[in-house]
Amino acid sequence: MNRRSPLPFQLTAASILVLAASGALAQQAAEPAAEPETPYMPLGLENRPQAQNLQTGYRGSVQLGAGYTSDDNYMFGQYNGLSEEGATAIVDLQWQDFNAGDHYWKISMSDLGLDTREAEITWGKADKLKLNFGFDSQQQVRNDSGRTPFRGDTNQQLPDNWEEGINTSDFAALSGSLRKFDRELDRDRLFAGISASLSDHWRVESNLSYEEKQGHGDVGGGIYINGASADAALLRSPVDYSTTELDLGLSYDASKLHLHGQLAYSDFDNDDDTLTWQNPYSNYGPNVSYPNGYGGLGLAPDSEQVSGRLTGHYLFSPTMRLQFDGSYAVASQDQDYLDYTVNEALVVTEPVPGNNYDGEVATSIFNTRLMLRPMAKMNAQVFYKLRDRDYDADRNGYLYVRGDGADQPGARETVYNTNHDLTSQIAGFEVDYRLPLRSKLSFEYEYEDVERRNAAVEETEEDRYTLGYRIQPWSNFTARIHLQYADRAADTYEWAQNYYALLDTELINATPDTQRYINHPQLMQYYMANRERWEGKLDLTYLPSERWNLNMNLQWQEDDFDKSYLGLTGASWGRLHISASYVASETFSGTVYAGYDVYEGEQTSRAFRGGQEKNAFEIYPPLPQASDPLQDWDLDATDSSTTIGLNLQWLPAKDMELNLDYSFVDTTSEQDYSTPAGSNLVVSDLPDVDTRLHHVEASGTWHMQENLSVQLDYQFYSYETDDWAWDNVQADTIGKVLSFGQQNPNEDIHYLGASVIYRWQ
Amino acid sequence: MPGKHLKAIFIVCATVWVTLLATGNLSAQEEAACFDCHEAEDDSSVHAVFKTVHGSLNGGGTAACTACHGPSEAHNRRGRRNPPDISFGPRWPSDAETRNGSCLGCHENGDQLLWAGSAHEQESMSCDNCHDSHQLQDLQLAKEQSQEQCLTCHTQVKAQIHLPSRHPIAEGKTACVDCHNPHGSLGDAALHQASVNDNCYSCHQDKRGPFLWEHPPVAEDCALCHRPHGSVNDRLLTARGPASCQQCHAAAFHPSVPYGSEGLPSGSANQNLLGKNCLNCHSQIHGSNHPSGARLTR
Repeated sequence: MNRRSPLPFQLTAASILVLAASGALAQQAAEPAAEPETPYMPLGLENRPQAQNLQTGYRGSVQLGAGYTSDDNYMFGQYNGLSEEGATAIVDLQWQDFNAGDHYWKISMSDLGLDTREAEITWGKADKLKLNFGFDSQQQVRNDSGRTPFRGDTNQQLPDNWEEGINTSDFAALSGSLRKFDRELDRDRLFAGISASLSDHWRVESNLSYEEKQGHGDVGGGIYINGASADAALLRSPVDYSTTELDLGLSYDASKLHLHGQLAYSDFDNDDDTLTWQNPYSNYGPNVSYPNGYGGLGLAPDSEQVSGRLTGHYLFSPTMRLQFDGSYAVASQDQDYLDYTVNEALVVTEPVPGNNYDGEVATSIFNTRLMLRPMAKMNAQVFYKLRDRDYDADRNGYLYVRGDGADQPGARETVYNTNHDLTSQIAGFEVDYRLPLRSKLSFEYEYEDVERRNAAVEETEEDRYTLGYRIQPWSNFTARIHLQYADRAADTYEWAQNYYALLDTELINATPDTQRYINHPQLMQYYMANRERWEGKLDLTYLPSERWNLNMNLQWQEDDFDKSYLGLTGASWGRLHISASYVASETFSGTVYAGYDVYEGEQTSRAFRGGQEKNAFEIYPPLPQASDPLQDWDLDATDSSTTIGLNLQWLPAKDMELNLDYSFVDTTSEQDYSTPAGSNLVVSDLPDVDTRLHHVEASGTWHMQENLSVQLDYQFYSYETDDWAWDNVQADTIGKVLSFGQQNPNEDIHYLGASVIYRWQ
Repeated sequence: MPGKHLKAIFIVCATVWVTLLATGNLSAQEEAACFDCHEAEDDSSVHAVFKTVHGSLNGGGTAACTACHGPSEAHNRRGRRNPPDISFGPRWPSDAETRNGSCLGCHENGDQLLWAGSAHEQESMSCDNCHDSHQLQDLQLAKEQSQEQCLTCHTQVKAQIHLPSRHPIAEGKTACVDCHNPHGSLGDAALHQASVNDNCYSCHQDKRGPFLWEHPPVAEDCALCHRPHGSVNDRLLTARGPASCQQCHAAAFHPSVPYGSEGLPSGSANQNLLGKNCLNCHSQIHGSNHPSGARLTR
C-alpha cells in the first residue's frame, strides 16, 4: 500500500487560510475609503449560448420529417430508439395557449415516430387548478450479437436433437441450434396528475402512474451440487413488470409555516415468478442431466410499498429558520414460496417453512436543519439526519436443494435467513462567514454513527471536517477550494458473524474452530471498515472578457482503509475538467471541453482451499493456505477516461442556423496483479480494456420564412471496445458456461434526418 | 399689499395641486406605465410574458409587471435613471435574495420548499439564472433541454454521461431533474427522494424487495457498487468483476483465487473471469426470494 503524501492537502489548507487572511487584511487596509462591494455573483451564467428566439418565441411548433439509420446497432441506439437500420419518422409537436381567458393549456409531444415517444397535455386555470396527463416510453437495447440454443421464455427448452456433454465443447449440436435473440427492454408509462388550490393557504395534488416494463435481459444460471463447480448457461431472461403508483399530497402555505404532506402507494407486479431452463449438460446423474434435468431461478417478487412524508419549514424570524423532511415507508412482499427445486425427480422430504415469505421492511428517514444568521455576514446551520431500516421477517431454516443438482441434503445443511437492520445518524453544523473581496469561508463538521444489526461490524463512527473558501476578487474571476478530511472508526470486525447466522448448529459443531468462517478472518468489507479519507476540490472560473468563459474543475479523493489487511485496502479518484466557451456575437458561439477521470483501487486477498487448508490461525509451519502470507495476492485496478467535446453554434445568415457537436471518449480499464516473493501463485496481469467513442452531431436549419424552416440532421457514431470478457468467447469457449458468444460492439453508424418545422403564434 | 399677493399665489398653487391630485399624477401610488416605454418589439422579449402563465398575474397587463418587479414608482417616473424595485438585469440586477423573493412569493412550496440553504442558494444563484419567464417556452421546464443548463456549471458530469455504461441522460430520457431537485432538498446530493436507495427504487422497483436472502450492501446503499452518472465498467459498476466481488468476498476455493490472463480464452477460459464472471452463477446479486437462493444462485 503506497503511503499517501500529505503535502498537497497541507498546502491546500494553508493556501485557504492565507487567502482568507489576506482578504481580511485587505479589508482592514482599505476600510476607511472602501465603497460598498457588489455582492458575489456566480459567473458564466450570463454568457451561455442563448436559446434562439425560434425555439422559445412561438406559441406552437410542429416538426415532421424522416430519418434514416445506416445499420443495426445497440450502442448508438441504446436509448434513442434508433437501433435498427432503416427509416423512422420525425414527429414533434409543441403547442400552448395562455391567452384563452382564465385558463391555459399546453401540449408537448416528441419522438412520436420512435419507440421512445412521449407526450404530455396540461390544462390549467390560473393557479387554481392544473390537470396533466401523458405517456412516456423508454427503450434500452443491449448487445444482441449473441445467440442461444434455448427456445421459450419462462420455460426454456433445448432442441430435440440436442447432444449433451460434460463440457460445452461436447455439445455437438450446438452450432446448428444457435438462434439470435433480441435484448430489448421497453418501458411504457401512463401518468395523470391534478393540482388544485383549496384556498389561499391550502393546495391538494395527486398523481397516478402505471408503467409496464417488458422485454428481455440476460441472466446466468448454474446447476451444481456444491460450490466447487457448476454447469452454467447464460439465459435470455424475461421481463414482464408492471408498476402502479399513486400519491396524494396536501400543502399548506402561510407567512411563517410551509408544509407539504404526501401519502404514496406503489405496487410492483412481476408476471413471472420463475425462469426454468433445460440442463444441457450430462453431469450429476440421469435425474439432473439432459434431458430430464432442469434448473430454476426465482425472479423479482411482487412487492408493495406504502409511505408517508412530511416536508416543511418554519420561519421563526428573518434570521432563524427550521427545515425538516420526514418519511416512513413500509415495503412488503408475501409471495408464495417457490419449491426448493424445479427438478421433480429430486427427492425433497422437508417442505419449505410455510406458504409465503411475508417480509416487511420499514424505513424511517428524518432530516432536519436549523438555519441561523447570528450576524449579518455569518450563516450557521445545525443539522441532523436519521435513516432507520427495520427488516421484519420470520427467521426460518431452509433445507435448500443445492443448484437443482442433488436430492435435498441432511438437516445439518439447513441455512437460516438473516434480517439486516440499519440505523444511521448524522449530526453536525456548518458555519460560513463572508469576508472582503466577495469571499466566503466555511467550515463544516459532521459526525456519522451507523449501527448495523446482524452484520460483521456492529457500529461505525465517522468524523468529517470540511473547510471551504470561495473568493471573487474581481467581477470576472471566482476561485473555490474545498478540503475534507474524514476518519471512520469501526467496531471489532466479527468475521464469523455471518457464518454463525447462516449455518446450522450441527454443521458448526462438526467444523473445527479454526475453520468457522465464510470470508477469511482478515478480510474487512470496505463499507464497514476503518477508513481515512481526504477529499479536495478546486474550481476556477475566469471571464477574460464578456465573450469568454474559462473554467477548470479539479477533484480528488483518497481512501486509506488503514486497518484492512484483506479486501479493499485503498482507493483514489481524481478528475480534471477544463472548458472554454466563447460567444463571439449573437451569431456565433462555441464551447470546447476536456476531461480526465481516473479511479484506482488496491485490494488484497489470500487464495486458499477448504478443509485443513482453511485453518486461518496457524502460526507454525507448514502453514495451511489460509494462514500463509505467501498465498496473498494484490490487485491494482485503474479505470481512466479521457473526454473531449466541442460545440459550435453559427448563424451565417439571418435565415440560417448551423450546429456542430462532437464528443470523444477514450476509456481504459487496467488490472495488474502482484504476489509476494516466494509465492507459488501464478497470476498474470489482465490486458487493458479499451473503449473509444466518436460522436458527431451536425444540424443545419434554413428558415425559409418566419414560420417555416427546413432542418437537416446528421450524426456519425463510432464505438469500439476490446473487452476480454467477451473477446473470442464463443458459446462453447468456457468449459462450464454455455454463453451467448456475443461480440464486442464495433459500430460505425450514420444517421440522416430531414424535417420541416412549422411555427405559429 | 404683500398679503394680497401671497394670498393669490396660495390660491393658484392650491388649484394646481388639487388638479394634479384629481388626475392622479400626484397620487400616493402612481399607476405603472410600463408599456409607455416597453413597447412590443420584435427584438424585445418583454411582451412575450403575456403569452405565458405569468402574463395573467393580478389580472394581467401592467399589474402582471409589478407583480414580479414591484411597484417601481421611481422607475416609472424616470425609467432611464432609476431601476425597477426588483430587476432581473442586465442593466440593474438586484441582488439574488431580492430576485428570488419575487419568485418565492408564489413558488415557495412544491419543489421550491427547501430552497433556503440549498447548494444553489448558497451560491447566490437566482431563479432567473436558469428560468426565463419572458419566453413562451421556458427551456428549463423541458426535460431534454434542461440538462444543458445543468451541465454548464456541473461540467464534470458532462463527461460522465458519455461513458460506456450510463443512464439515458444524454438522450434526455433520464433528466438531471428526474433524480435531483435543483431547488434543494435535505437528502444526499439534493435528491428528490429521502435517501439514495429510495431514489433508485423510484425507477427500479424490482430491486426494492424485501428479499428472503439479502445482499447487505445492496440494501444499505446502491452507490456502494454503482456510479449513476456513468461508468467505464458495465452496469454502472464502480469496479469490474470478479475483482469488485473479491473486494468483499474471500471464501475458500473459487472466491479467493486471483483470476489473471491465464483464464482468458487463449488459456484456461475460466468461468469466473469470462462472460458475466461471478454472475454466470451468482446472478441474483440484488437479492433472492428463492428458498434455495442463500448463495444468490437461485
